[in-house]
Amino acid sequence: MATTELEIKNLTHFYDGQKILNIPYLPVQAKECLVIFGPNGAGKSTLLRIASLLEKPSQGEIYHRGVLVPLPAPLSLRRRLVHLLDRPLFFRGPVRDNLLYGLKIRGIGHKEQQKRLAEISAQFKLEPYLERQPDELSAGEKQRVNLARAFILQPDILFLDEPLANLDVRTREEILVEFKQIRKEKGQTALLVTHNREEAAYLADRMAVLVNGEIVQSGKPEEVFASPATVEVAHLMGQETLVEGTVVGQEKGLLKVALANHFLYTLGTCSPGEKVTVIFRPEEVILAPEKPESSVRNWFHGLITEIKALDKLVLVSLDCGFKLKAYLSRPALEELKVSVGRKFWAGVKATSLSIKPFKDGPQNETTQLKRIL
Amino acid sequence: MVSFSEIWPIIRLTLIVSGLSTFIAFILALPAAFFLYLNQFPGRKLILSLIHTGMGLPPVVVGLFVALFLWRSGPLGSLNLMYTPAAIVIAQVILAWPIIAGLSLSALEQVDPALLIQAKALGASPTQLLWTLFCEARLGQISGIIAAFGAVISEVGAVLMVGGNLKGHTRVLTTAILQETRLGHFRLALILALTLIIISFAINWCLTSWQQKGINRWRQPSWK
Repeated sequence: MATTELEIKNLTHFYDGQKILNIPYLPVQAKECLVIFGPNGAGKSTLLRIASLLEKPSQGEIYHRGVLVPLPAPLSLRRRLVHLLDRPLFFRGPVRDNLLYGLKIRGIGHKEQQKRLAEISAQFKLEPYLERQPDELSAGEKQRVNLARAFILQPDILFLDEPLANLDVRTREEILVEFKQIRKEKGQTALLVTHNREEAAYLADRMAVLVNGEIVQSGKPEEVFASPATVEVAHLMGQETLVEGTVVGQEKGLLKVALANHFLYTLGTCSPGEKVTVIFRPEEVILAPEKPESSVRNWFHGLITEIKALDKLVLVSLDCGFKLKAYLSRPALEELKVSVGRKFWAGVKATSLSIKPFKDGPQNETTQLKRIL
Repeated sequence: MVSFSEIWPIIRLTLIVSGLSTFIAFILALPAAFFLYLNQFPGRKLILSLIHTGMGLPPVVVGLFVALFLWRSGPLGSLNLMYTPAAIVIAQVILAWPIIAGLSLSALEQVDPALLIQAKALGASPTQLLWTLFCEARLGQISGIIAAFGAVISEVGAVLMVGGNLKGHTRVLTTAILQETRLGHFRLALILALTLIIISFAINWCLTSWQQKGINRWRQPSWK
């Protein structure tokens, strides 16, 4: 059974008299990578500073391996947690000195320092850079040195604040893979904050969505992406289409929902007359020039209004009486001859839709606590 | 013919008083610079302005005030320091202190505050944080030492006023040059002047080498 490395309980934090964090309970399990995901200004970095014992919360308790941490935290305990800021900052001197900084201030012996340096340099492929100045390194190399100087300390928990925010796509992907692999190998517990969906999805064993200082949902990333707890989380998870509707009733085991000028079928247990928000995920929407014979239950005829080229896919917007979006691959776009102004059929399986009660907002503390526990 | 034994006591005293006053000023200025860097309080701007004014303080004014304090009837007259090497050191510390404090503070202010947060987040204790800050601002602090040493070794007004240029007792290179020029001993004055320049250059060479080594290691262009 997984042990709990860190627990945050009844945390409230104020800044300039304004409550910016309100977290009843947040555990970090041993060897997991917990990702705090949220928009800018949600309080992610403050939460990370509090969790890493760098900042004292206005109220609340922090438990380290089940023991209540006195705040401000003693240095001996602070040294068991390592926090990397949102950009790599280096001390004067070569990479070697920077890697050894944390070991030296902990009074670790020379022999052990050299042993750990050799090990970590090999893991992060830093041997050629040890005598170079950090200023001479590329952004990706700098970030690798930054991560290595945290791993070399073998902390109980590693705290990372948007570690890959300033990197180009290719470097970020390389470091993501490297970080995940080394973290898994070492069984390093990590708490990471990010506003990048792909980063969160790739790295997280578990993720917690922070909105306006409150954790509105937590769970495995695939659960959070597939079934966002609120409309706001759905937006954050990239669910491009949210449509309001009213539940009409049940039909053949499916819930029938009336939209502005359509009916749609989905799974759910809402009562007739209840107002709901239907969440369409663009990757689940199929496009066809003619309505095909298929098991797909929901078909909408709409005019293509916009085609937006993305990194690897294309996002097609349709006006079906409501706005609907679908991802297409580039070959599919050409084959289907999709263009702005043409009418297409958009299909969505009943099982691919999710619905939320229309009256939305962060759940109360008891609901949050139950969900997290 | 001028013998080395004749000028050696002057060189030795010059090195002792200038070195000692720069060292004492550094020891006193560094905590002040750290305090001003780490604290915000009413009157801080006034103190900064006074330090910056002190960086250009006329030596004769310093000499006058030190003389007033050390004069037999002055507040510190009982110490009998007037016309002693100690009086010269006091005057030179007053001249060097604002230079080192001002330049050290500028150097500290150039250190990215986030770097200190990162040091703390890597586990540095408060003392280790101060040491890290000191190391990061080392280049500017060496500049302060260079500037202060240059100012005190070449200074003549205050030294003459509080030291008195007593042969074998308080005569330093600058006051000796002045004395020999007045007496028309231009050859000796030139030898002393040359000696002063060589000493000043040698010490500054050492300090500058140390400083430039730091700069070269620190500021490699990233495009290289």
